Amino acid sequence: MADIPRPKNPQDDWKIWLVVNPATWLIPILMSVFLLGILIHALLFTVSPYGAYWGG
Amino acid sequence: MADTSISGLTVEQAKEFHEQFKVTYTAFAGIAALAHFLVLAWKPWF
Repeated sequence: MADIPRPKNPQDDWKIWLVVNPATWLIPILMSVFLLGILIHALLFTVSPYGAYWGG
Repeated sequence: MADTSISGLTVEQAKEFHEQFKVTYTAFAGIAALAHFLVLAWKPWF
């Protein structure tokens, strides 16, 4: 197997778009970040002091 | 060696898109940090 140089990040970060086409995957990426955020906040609200504010 | 990338984007397109992606992500992280700071000031969660 040819000796492929390891990427240097963050200067090579842009190369991800040579593999992942944003025209297809940008919205799924944004939606998964949004969903992850909702899930993390929902979990933290179960153990946080803010439940009382919402009548919990 | 294939001259087109796996995603079909050229090097210029990938670099151009990444510049915008970094700007948008930085704005998102900044706004989220501000929101968390305001909540922390209102009612610390620890």
